[in-house]
Amino acid sequence: MRLPARRLVCYGLVVGNSFALMFGLPGQGMHLRLDALSVLFLCILVPQIVASALAERRGSIAFWVFAGAMVLTLLAGDAFTLIFGFELMSAASWLLVLRGDARPATLYAGMAMFSAACLIPAVFLPASSLAFMLVLLGAGAKAGLAPLHFWLPRAHPAPPAGVSALMSGGMVKVSLYILIRYGFIEFGAAAQPWWGSVLIVAGAASVLIGALRAMLEVELKTMLACSTVEHVGLIAVGLGIALRAKAMGNLDLASLALQGALLCAVAHGLFKPMLFLGAGAVKKATGTTSLDWLGGLMRGMPRLGLLMLAGAAGMAALPLGPGFAPEFLLLHAVIKAAATGGILARIGFTALLAGLGLSAALALGAVVRLIGIGFLGRPRSLHAAAAGDANRATLAGMGFLAALCVPVALLPGVVLGMMEPVIQLLAPNSAPAPLSYAPLSLFLLLAAAAAAAFFGLRRFAVRGTREVPAWTCGFGSPPAWLPFGDPLTQPSATGFAEPVRRAIARGVLAPQGVDPAEAYLLFPLSQVSLRLTRVAEHIRRSTIRQRLAFVFVALVMFLLALGLSEGG
Amino acid sequence: MNLDYPLAHLMGGVILMCAFSMLSQRRLAAMITLYQVQALTLSAAAFWQGFAQGAGDLYLTGLITLVIKGILLPMGMRQIVQRFNMVRAVETAVPVGFSMILGVGLIGIAVLVVLPTTVSAVSLTREDLAISLSVVLLGLLVMTLRRNAIAQVIGFLSTENGLVLAATGMPGMPFVAELSVALLVLLAFLVIGVFLFRIREHFDTLDLVGIEEIERRGR
Repeated sequence: MRLPARRLVCYGLVVGNSFALMFGLPGQGMHLRLDALSVLFLCILVPQIVASALAERRGSIAFWVFAGAMVLTLLAGDAFTLIFGFELMSAASWLLVLRGDARPATLYAGMAMFSAACLIPAVFLPASSLAFMLVLLGAGAKAGLAPLHFWLPRAHPAPPAGVSALMSGGMVKVSLYILIRYGFIEFGAAAQPWWGSVLIVAGAASVLIGALRAMLEVELKTMLACSTVEHVGLIAVGLGIALRAKAMGNLDLASLALQGALLCAVAHGLFKPMLFLGAGAVKKATGTTSLDWLGGLMRGMPRLGLLMLAGAAGMAALPLGPGFAPEFLLLHAVIKAAATGGILARIGFTALLAGLGLSAALALGAVVRLIGIGFLGRPRSLHAAAAGDANRATLAGMGFLAALCVPVALLPGVVLGMMEPVIQLLAPNSAPAPLSYAPLSLFLLLAAAAAAAFFGLRRFAVRGTREVPAWTCGFGSPPAWLPFGDPLTQPSATGFAEPVRRAIARGVLAPQGVDPAEAYLLFPLSQVSLRLTRVAEHIRRSTIRQRLAFVFVALVMFLLALGLSEGG
Repeated sequence: MNLDYPLAHLMGGVILMCAFSMLSQRRLAAMITLYQVQALTLSAAAFWQGFAQGAGDLYLTGLITLVIKGILLPMGMRQIVQRFNMVRAVETAVPVGFSMILGVGLIGIAVLVVLPTTVSAVSLTREDLAISLSVVLLGLLVMTLRRNAIAQVIGFLSTENGLVLAATGMPGMPFVAELSVALLVLLAFLVIGVFLFRIREHFDTLDLVGIEEIERRGR
């Protein structure tokens, strides 16, 4: 029986066979392939593209090239297609960043080139530690893993909000997809436990630095980008534990950690684009994203505020939010991993647990600051006071993502069940423990309790009313000459973060609150580059005699080396 | 008693001495004289090697060396010096003592390189090679250290003398190579002469300071 060609194509894709395209490298072509891992990441990616397109950026060619390149990377069936899609994605997103700001675009282009320089040799190397380290450097730099994360808080906030959303929620995931595909599948046979350890260390550093910077940054979008670094770190910690456990033969732990990491990727892919779209709407309404100039937005833009609150609950990993289940699973995986391995591993995992706890608290603080300073209280500027609610398109895009958040938040067990083929693909023959967290019943219980309390109060409360002065959360009514109050009577975003800055940031960040990767990696590198440029320029300007002397000294050095090696 | 080796070594030593003393001479006339002595010794060495090895073409090498380097080039250089009125010109770029220390070091390096690397070769060639490599390096050193264009030319020619010395000491070196080297030197001298006149026209001096200044300012 002959199937129509179209159905054959679909058939080939679904079963996992590769599907050859008509163009590509001569004699080799390009291949598309769809397996469980690609499907999962497509499921993460597509809602974001839909939401970003709904909210804005419908007519931008670069945006669609960017989105299409990401899909192509996920669908790639051979190394060339993968690299082609990845580089197309980098180039298109560079163009989009360039539209926002030129300086971060340059930094971003340099980082993209670095990651290409690592990835391109890596995907064509045979499976080995060197190849995996190159993949880790290349994909990790693009995903924003410490210590190569410094470009992310600069480049992600630069473009318009729809692109920021897709970069933070989607592009980072595509890089992680490459890391997973090569770490677990392509190089899976040669995996060593220390690969996972490297990933865990890098992830833990990202988590800590990202959470801390998210707590300290004043710009809303920069803060969201720092939180992306944190979540990438969380995913990397999960992947690292899984890689290590798989290489050591502990498949159940590997599947548990994978569940945490992949669920974290799913959740982050939903709430982070939502928050970025909301930040874009805030910028459109008030002209700024600096928390120090916002305040009281919940009154002017209530629907946006509600959606932001939902996203923020996910970002802070609050119970009943989408971010809680993955963090719960990850902490379980860390606790389980702490019971395996030697004394050093045990101490390390225990410290990791403390670090994750600290960063979870910091993330909560960051979210409290985001909502409390930006959306509650009194407006700090006229623009913030006059802000109207976001337009319908943005609300629709955010609402779409928020609706998708609900099943992830309330039915994580079902989502994990749907992920089962991916887990089996990455850690074959594993039997993960069932999730011991049932938010739906918890939610129903809470709802029932709240409803009972409400009706009880209605039924049994004292009926009489009396007038009392309104409690204004601690600050007095605004003076007559300042209609929305003196901004200085409220804590600013900077002031809110000051205790954390004093207590923790001094020890973790470089002086003046600079990111340690910037202070200890980027700055010295730029110094070295400057110095080398000066030396090169000096050599280029040298006189005839100096050039003769260079050649002569080189000759003498060569002779000396020859004589010493022969004589010795 | 066989005079082959002692005489060859003696003449090699004289050539090396001349190359070394060029470092210490600050006047162009003295450098040209030293170069002439070096070239004459080289032609004598070529004749002696021709006699000792019984090779006819080495006589030709000696003759070319005698005519071109021993007579024509020094004459031409003396004329340039006369015409440019540089008889009393004194080189001041690098202290003499320092350049001589460098020269001693270079000779040491040459011996260090050649003697261990050529253990298998016959002794005549080995020491001749060490001497000629020293002469080459000293010529290069003169080119590097001196700022006067003529002095650099002399360094270049001295380097070439070292090469020819190596060629004569090596049995079986084809004559064509020496001939072409000699012609090349002649051509190079002509080209450099033209350049010298141009430099002179532009800067009123043969000191390369003028060119360096232009380079510095122009870029």
